[in-house]
Amino acid sequence: MAGRGRGRRPFGTDSSISRGEGLPPGLQQPTPVFPVMEQKPLPLAGGEEAEYLLALKQDFRGVMKNLPFFIKPAAAQRDVQRYSDKYHSSEQTNSLTDWNLEPSCLHVSGFQTGDDSPESCRSTSGGESEKKEEHEQSSEEEEGGVKKKPEEEEGAEAEEEYDEEELEEETDYIMSYFDNGEEFGGDSDDNMDEAIY
Amino acid sequence: MTAQEVRLCGLVLQEHFGEVVEKVGRNLLKSGTQNLRAIVHETGLSVDLVKKSLCVLMQHGACSFIQGRKGPGSPTEYKAHCDRMLRILRYPRYIYTAKTLYGDTGELIIEELLQRGHMTMSNTVKTVADRLTQSMDGDMDYGEVSTTFSKLVETHFLQRCPPAAGAGTTGSSQTANSTSAAPASSTAPTPESFPDCYRVPQVTLIGRSKRPLASEEGEDQRNAKKAKMDPETHGDEGIYWQVNFERFHQHFRDQTIISAVANKLDQTSSEIVRTMLRMSEVTTSSTAPCTKPLSANEIFRSLPATYNIPRHILDQYLTLLVDDPVDGVCGEGVRVIYLNQALANLARATLESIVQERFGSRSARIFRLLLRKRHLEQKQVEDFAMIPAKEAKDMLYTLLSQNLVQLQEIPKTPDFAPSRTFYLYTVNQLPTARLLLQNCYKTVANLMERRLFEAKESKRLLEKSQRIEAILASLQASGAEPEQLTEVEEMITAPEKQQLDSLRLHVNKLDSAENQVDETIFLLESYISSSTKPTS
Repeated sequence: MAGRGRGRRPFGTDSSISRGEGLPPGLQQPTPVFPVMEQKPLPLAGGEEAEYLLALKQDFRGVMKNLPFFIKPAAAQRDVQRYSDKYHSSEQTNSLTDWNLEPSCLHVSGFQTGDDSPESCRSTSGGESEKKEEHEQSSEEEEGGVKKKPEEEEGAEAEEEYDEEELEEETDYIMSYFDNGEEFGGDSDDNMDEAIY
Repeated sequence: MTAQEVRLCGLVLQEHFGEVVEKVGRNLLKSGTQNLRAIVHETGLSVDLVKKSLCVLMQHGACSFIQGRKGPGSPTEYKAHCDRMLRILRYPRYIYTAKTLYGDTGELIIEELLQRGHMTMSNTVKTVADRLTQSMDGDMDYGEVSTTFSKLVETHFLQRCPPAAGAGTTGSSQTANSTSAAPASSTAPTPESFPDCYRVPQVTLIGRSKRPLASEEGEDQRNAKKAKMDPETHGDEGIYWQVNFERFHQHFRDQTIISAVANKLDQTSSEIVRTMLRMSEVTTSSTAPCTKPLSANEIFRSLPATYNIPRHILDQYLTLLVDDPVDGVCGEGVRVIYLNQALANLARATLESIVQERFGSRSARIFRLLLRKRHLEQKQVEDFAMIPAKEAKDMLYTLLSQNLVQLQEIPKTPDFAPSRTFYLYTVNQLPTARLLLQNCYKTVANLMERRLFEAKESKRLLEKSQRIEAILASLQASGAEPEQLTEVEEMITAPEKQQLDSLRLHVNKLDSAENQVDETIFLLESYISSSTKPTS
């Protein structure tokens, strides 16, 4: 904006290159990522207060990761249905917030959480009759959801089995015809009266 | 919503609430007010996850909803609050302040409320009492925690959440702040003002918190039963409390002013200023430009008993404070502290020190010169700053290229002929403060990203060390021999230990730096908001 009028200076009179000098040597490589600083920064403030604040901050972060407010995306399906799955405590979604404060379109009943996070039972907020109804509703739907889940897992398992067969099939032989001796001796444990040959 | 703010908010949300909430929050910040369908469409997440994230954001006050703007049938729209998300950076400072003012109980109350967003009083008291019982011998009485809670409410550090308005905007907490702390006003709460904002409800919460049972099954059964049964009502359902950030900010501002006065003058004058500020704490709203007028008599009476200064010395101190331009105490007869002026002075000191640390003391000298003398030509700058012409020119151009100094042209002729135009250098404090505030946001975002990067690099090592610590803890709990313990400890090799130590050091340094930058952010933010408010 300084040079748009009629009295324009010739191009290049502002720079510090005096007449007769050559151009400065060109750049051979990109500028460094961390250029050298002329002024070194001051050291951080230490002291008890700073350390306490640091500890508070790190504790807070750690606690937030375990609260129900930390929403993880749906975890991948487990490969095998494990016995311990039904003993993981499922998340209480009604404890997330008081539904009276949220607009009605956000009321979700029967959340299906993809993964399980153990939750402290003290985080349930004060109960009201409306919330009890929702809780019953959500527990019913949760049961329906739980039934759906093993079905899904079975489906996944069937797929897995099929994949296994395909993967192991480098040869032309079908693996199920091949007896690898696992079942040997399994049946005869029940009746010890019969003689074993 | 600048790009730096959005980036920083995204990182903060990701650390505290997970990636899903981060996506939703970022989308809301970038696109302004949106309804549910639009959010689902743009983020590509499932409806359930989006709903859950919005609930989490609303629980923590980072998001609010408005019933449809286009008539009664339109869907609710959601709006994110960037400044509220950035408050999360300041949480450790709030907790620490509560600890210094109200002890461990206060600290835990504030911590619980910050973690949960908002909670009822009875829940807070119970949770805090349980936590205190766990960390000390003997049972904690609910009454003690309740009194601390009431004290926090009386001094306005906690406030009620505005009740959910079905229609219309939810009332802002600024109007709530303007109501005094008079107990139990008889008028019904209207949507705009909340006269009950600071009224502690009647809560029937008598008893002590019990130590948890030693056996796990007993507790699980008991808690499972508790969840199914109707939980005991304590008479304050539906009344939720949240932390009043404005009050904390007022407190921080007062502390900064007091320490500035202590640095410049002496301890006694800082005590006088502290007394004056304390007297107008609850009655002045946080946005007022100055404290309420106080006569010298009142100040004399309210001084703490340890400071036995006679009356005439107090008057001398007051005249000294009037003359001193740091905090703008002014007036004859009645004294007033000009808070806006004090904030401006503090912000100016911050800007000067930033320039000094980045560019050296001579550039800082030029900067301070320009702040005081407003407009100067280049020749005048060289003369006043007593710096040789060539170096002065260099420094000025560096500052100009960083936008800390502006050029003002005053033409003598209608065509801006360079030989016939005055070129004056100037510094505008407010835009410069805004620029440096954005730099601060960028700094904190960079620090967080670097920290996450460092943790990701050594993820494998961190997981290994966590596993080993868990094994050690379980071994110790079951009473193992020292040889087993050393055997487990040796699973981490010495270079790995070194790596872990240096990683911990780096992460701590980065975290600490974030805290420190946040102090600067607070100062600059207060200054900017105080000078851009419409003066009443």
